[in-house]
Amino acid sequence: MEAAALAYLAAGLGAGIAAVGAGIGIGWLASSSMDGAARQPEAAGDIRGLMIVSAALIEGVALFALIICLLLVFTA
Amino acid sequence: MIARLRSIAVLGLLALGLTLAVSTSPAQAAAEEGEVTLEGIVNNSILGHATDGYYLNLKPFAQVELPRIMLARTEEGALTVEAYGSTAGLLRNGPYGLQAHDGNGSGDHGQAALKTETAELNEAIGTGEHLHSSVARTSGHVVTDFSISRHLVLSILAFLIVTVIFVTLAQRYERGVGRTEARTFLPYLLSSFFFILVANILGLVPFAGAPTSNLAVTAVLAVMTFVIGLLYGSKDHYMELLTGPPDAPILARIILVPIEIIGLVMRHLALAIRLFANMLGGSLIIFSLLGLIFIMNVIFGEAAAWGSTIISIGFTVFILLVKLLVAFIQAYVFTILSALFIGMSAEEHHYDEDADTSASEGDLESRLDAVEDAIEPTPA
Repeated sequence: MEAAALAYLAAGLGAGIAAVGAGIGIGWLASSSMDGAARQPEAAGDIRGLMIVSAALIEGVALFALIICLLLVFTA
Repeated sequence: MIARLRSIAVLGLLALGLTLAVSTSPAQAAAEEGEVTLEGIVNNSILGHATDGYYLNLKPFAQVELPRIMLARTEEGALTVEAYGSTAGLLRNGPYGLQAHDGNGSGDHGQAALKTETAELNEAIGTGEHLHSSVARTSGHVVTDFSISRHLVLSILAFLIVTVIFVTLAQRYERGVGRTEARTFLPYLLSSFFFILVANILGLVPFAGAPTSNLAVTAVLAVMTFVIGLLYGSKDHYMELLTGPPDAPILARIILVPIEIIGLVMRHLALAIRLFANMLGGSLIIFSLLGLIFIMNVIFGEAAAWGSTIISIGFTVFILLVKLLVAFIQAYVFTILSALFIGMSAEEHHYDEDADTSASEGDLESRLDAVEDAIEPTPA
């Protein structure tokens, strides 16, 4: 039971830390792409496409963490 | 000829993938209708809906069990294929027993705990427990479970929808409005985009679920991208993959080659995990929000449950709208990244440094001239 409790705790903490990391990453991405779009409005379309792709790449790393947390919960 | 071989290879891969998608087993807890406990909520309501299963849940009207097909090895060592109309039929007529479910579920090979008595089985079928526990053969063992699962049915539904829409469109297109040159990879990329889109949107349809919230389905799509990248990979790509960058020293190459290979595999693994986790995550959040009502009921009583119902429903509607957005974004992202990865392996590098630098220098000079012109406008 102790091990299961620790696994649940680890899953919760892991999900939280992964969310912090992904939040910082996507926050920076959004801030700089908005800078770019504001300075060069004619490039806004290109910037949006690139932003979605990079957001997906950042999010992918966070989702790896999410999957590991889910595995911890399900196998605990 | 080569194009035909390639398409045969892709088709074979698809068939392999479908069998993989079929053989994923659901790890679910036993359903207890009526009694509301915390464990019951988490195990049945939340996980049961998000994961795969061997039945279609049309809850207020019916629950349709799907056929089970087992490739099994008998005790004498012969391979047999056994097909039954439903899980209940499998248990009643076949040499199968129900694995008794204990709290932790995995890990033990409890042959002793196998339910095989008719009365026991009838009771389990009556409460619907047989759909949530795993089955095992009483003698011999199951080699592969080829059973038709819910996600397989829904993927075929998505495939049919895409086919019907696009065959109609293609016929109209043949008749000739604005025909452009078809690219090599466009058919695959567009098919995967619309298949993923329809599959994602099926996750928002009542009684259905997203086939893309199954890792096997997304893994097949990622493997298709991977294999297309390998089949159409340029010579330069393979050279760089297997021997490192051409101008790097030997020691650096020893480090770089494994990194390149691992990076190639991880890119495509991340492609599969990204789509899977996005679709699973959305439904998990919705079921967690709805489960919150019942958790409030258990912990704080009925009044708190009524209070949290309003909040939960509001958030659920919001998350559903986000899921609709995510359905489009993830289909787009998968397609764009597939195109990027295929493009990375198919493109041919040209390592002619000298020509490159001189060209950029020339470019720089012309740019400087343009800047000077801009700063000092010629007097008209």
